[in-house]
Amino acid sequence: MSNSTSPGGLSRRTFMTGSVSAAAAMPLVATSTKAAESPTAKAAEPRDLSTISMRINKQAYTLALDNRTSLLDALRDHVGLTGTKKGCDHGQCGACTVLVDGKRVLSCLSFAVMNEGREVTTVEGLASANGELHPMQQAFVDHDAFQCGYCTPGQIMSAIGCIDEGHAGSDNDIREYMSGNLCRCAAYPNIVAAIVQARDEIRRA
Amino acid sequence: MNQAAPVPKENQGEPVVRIDGRLKVTGQANYPADIATANVAYGALATSSIARGKVSKLHTDDARAVPGVLDIITYGDMDKTDKPKFGNTGASSIAPLHDRTIFHDGQIIAMVVAETFEAAEEAAMLIRADYEDDPPSASFDSKGAKVEPAAGKSPMLKEDVKVGDFDTAYASAAVKIDQKYSTPTQHHNPIELFSTTAIWQGDQLTIQEPSQNVTGWKIELARQLKIDPANVRIVSPYVGGAFGSKGPMTARTAIVAIAARRVGRPVRCVVSRMQAFNTQTYRAETRHRIRIGAGKDGRITAFGHEGWEVTSRPDSYVVGGTSATGRMYNYGSVLTHISLVHADRNTPGYMRSPPETPYVYALENAMDEMAVALRMDPVEFRRVNEPEKEPIGGKPFSSRSLVKCYDQAAQAFGWSKRDAAVGSMRDGDWLVGMGCATAIYPTASAPCAARVRLTADGQVRVQCGSHEIGTGVRTVAGQMAAERLGIGMDKVSVEMGDSALPPAPVSGGSISTASVCSAVLKACDAVRGKLFAAAVAGDGPLAGSGNAKLEMEQEKIVASGGKSAKLSDVFKAMQIGAIEEYAEFAPNGSTPEALKKLYAGQAEFHGGDQDEDSVKYAFGAEFVEVRVNSYTREIRVPRIVGAFAAGRIMNTRTARSQLMGGMIWGIGQALHEATEIDRRNARYVNRDLQDYLVPVNADVKQVDVILVPEIDLDVNPAGVKGLGELGNVGTAAAVASAVYHATGKRIRDLPIRIDDLIA
Repeated sequence: MSNSTSPGGLSRRTFMTGSVSAAAAMPLVATSTKAAESPTAKAAEPRDLSTISMRINKQAYTLALDNRTSLLDALRDHVGLTGTKKGCDHGQCGACTVLVDGKRVLSCLSFAVMNEGREVTTVEGLASANGELHPMQQAFVDHDAFQCGYCTPGQIMSAIGCIDEGHAGSDNDIREYMSGNLCRCAAYPNIVAAIVQARDEIRRA
Repeated sequence: MNQAAPVPKENQGEPVVRIDGRLKVTGQANYPADIATANVAYGALATSSIARGKVSKLHTDDARAVPGVLDIITYGDMDKTDKPKFGNTGASSIAPLHDRTIFHDGQIIAMVVAETFEAAEEAAMLIRADYEDDPPSASFDSKGAKVEPAAGKSPMLKEDVKVGDFDTAYASAAVKIDQKYSTPTQHHNPIELFSTTAIWQGDQLTIQEPSQNVTGWKIELARQLKIDPANVRIVSPYVGGAFGSKGPMTARTAIVAIAARRVGRPVRCVVSRMQAFNTQTYRAETRHRIRIGAGKDGRITAFGHEGWEVTSRPDSYVVGGTSATGRMYNYGSVLTHISLVHADRNTPGYMRSPPETPYVYALENAMDEMAVALRMDPVEFRRVNEPEKEPIGGKPFSSRSLVKCYDQAAQAFGWSKRDAAVGSMRDGDWLVGMGCATAIYPTASAPCAARVRLTADGQVRVQCGSHEIGTGVRTVAGQMAAERLGIGMDKVSVEMGDSALPPAPVSGGSISTASVCSAVLKACDAVRGKLFAAAVAGDGPLAGSGNAKLEMEQEKIVASGGKSAKLSDVFKAMQIGAIEEYAEFAPNGSTPEALKKLYAGQAEFHGGDQDEDSVKYAFGAEFVEVRVNSYTREIRVPRIVGAFAAGRIMNTRTARSQLMGGMIWGIGQALHEATEIDRRNARYVNRDLQDYLVPVNADVKQVDVILVPEIDLDVNPAGVKGLGELGNVGTAAAVASAVYHATGKRIRDLPIRIDDLIA
């Protein structure tokens, strides 16, 4: 890949350094770079950069990333999607939960390079283009299923995955299968109520 | 029915949806480390592997060789700055890079700055230190730990409270107990990681960091960096949980600021979960000895409460909860004493309901023991000892609805169905236990400023440098303005979390709603005053209604006679487009310097036990059902009911959520939370969210919150008592009492774990 392929006036160096610019919400590299030079040939060295293509919230991205960069840091620091949160970086709190090919994944435990060709959905990709909230987002608002809001994107993504997996049949199931998502403000009863509302609404739809 | 939105009762505001709810569910709420920052470099901390001694040599060559490393900040690099100070604004006097002395494990020894997060982390791990190490003192009973009386060592505890002749009363009491209790080290562990981003533009410094005290930090950081506070701005628009941990500023903030100046670009340091255990504050471990003496009628004649608390070597952080426990009931006599134990540890700090959580736990567990000794119902025992006035100074309570709370919670819980005999209630393999305890938290407020702007089209903007840490203060401040100005919430915006806004006190001690709402109320009333004067003026739309009572509703000014004028018409008559008012609120009893101190970042608290006329507290009663498996001794809490009275409730939704979260914190304190310490090395062992246990969704079932109506106009103009810290006071004692009721085992040392109940 060369500098000339990156839109928005970003040089190769600025995005190699991981900086997020004012244009951060835009894909840093357009899909037209799909013919980028052999992405994984030299991937053996940890510090090397690999070129990774994936779809994030239905938009194609090609990113040059340190092989050690987690999917979480790729989303936050390289794509500018900071809705996904870092709470422990060790897969212990669930704040970084995203959907990868529809399944919930802890993005801090997944190297970005492992997600070549995958479809990633983050909290920013849930609301419809006209601004209408996803039923799960609306349910979290209705039931005050958060206080500080920091674990909320992870809770919402996890809750969508939980319903999809068929693990939201009863309140007890929801409690059990949502226990990987810590909420230090302890909005748990409200989170369960929100998931029940969204589950029923999604089923009706 | 939506349980999240309780129907308001008397003196309770509507369960308005959070003003920032949509931002929070769409990922658009910007926490400080989320703010897009161009050309940012990444910082990573290197920390000490010993708890006491000196760094004799630091090896940074390997780290500097990592590609992408820009700089390493270490000894000598902070010399031109002033050392941090310990106090309400500063977490500790320990100045990690000013001095090679190591005061605690995990102390900062360097910070790497690199082009990428990965390079910074790699390099930080390659930093090695040679130490001259001394054997550390970890905690209570450690060799070398220094014990001293706490009174007078901190503004938190001027003197030990006492009244009457405890020794004589206790000696002659018909029924008495003398027991010891303890609570462990606990870490706040908000889910948001601690972070600092420093950005210089010329001599202007912007710090993006989660904070509960942006004004205080601005002043303190300027002092450390020896620059004009006018050139420092602290930005903290959203805070991902705080619980006290983001109240005091730590040494890291100045280090990142210096790093950013050296490398000539913004630097962001996100502290790892593990490093936060040592570089932030925590709840000190405490020990208690409680003596209670009573007559056979259950009236307490003697109450003794001795406390011991761990702190760091250089700083005297005092938890100090005897002011509340000494005033809780109608004791005949009170004797208290608190001691500090200085060990080789980082300095503790305030953590949700700082003094009351450990001290009231000890008192309330002892109250249950005393009820057992007296063969009295524990609720009745508390009722018998309900005071007319607080026992220490003989002052009245501004309001005290504790008995009402007990009545309503007991009824909702079904306390009357409890069989008092230990181990008598069983459900299959599960031993059922029921317990209760009192919650108390001092009601305070502090000076606060706010700016309110109303435009002719009915838009309201509220600005206040307070902090949305999840309490809902942004929502209730907006609600206060909407109500007072007769505007719908959808036309109200609220700006907070920025030291460029009108200053507010530290968001701690449950003072924010009272302080912020009182300031917003005052600003709104000034706006109303201008509008009303113009409306009834000779050429105004309500000319002739000068003697009528005026109100604002639905974007109109309505006179008591029935006449009304549209807001836009009043603005038209005034020939202006906006009214903006800046108001300063100072609580009754404030010193002449109180407002000056507000701008200097020092909150002057009033209320609680500080006022001349009365003592001011919020109260609650909590009832817990536990189930202990008769084979495995697994402890579950299927049900908890709390009734709370806290003056005016601004918003029943956010109030319920906070109290519910507080009670779940209480369950965590009872059964889960403890930072384990390797006593040989004075080192925290479980420095992550896998081994530091907090309640998860599966630990919580039914939580019922009852908001008991209460009117108290003495506390502050808004009539608000504050309840962020009330919910988790007493809970752990209620759980311990329920475990006793189920099993006959009285556990006095928290947390209560399966191993405590085996054998």
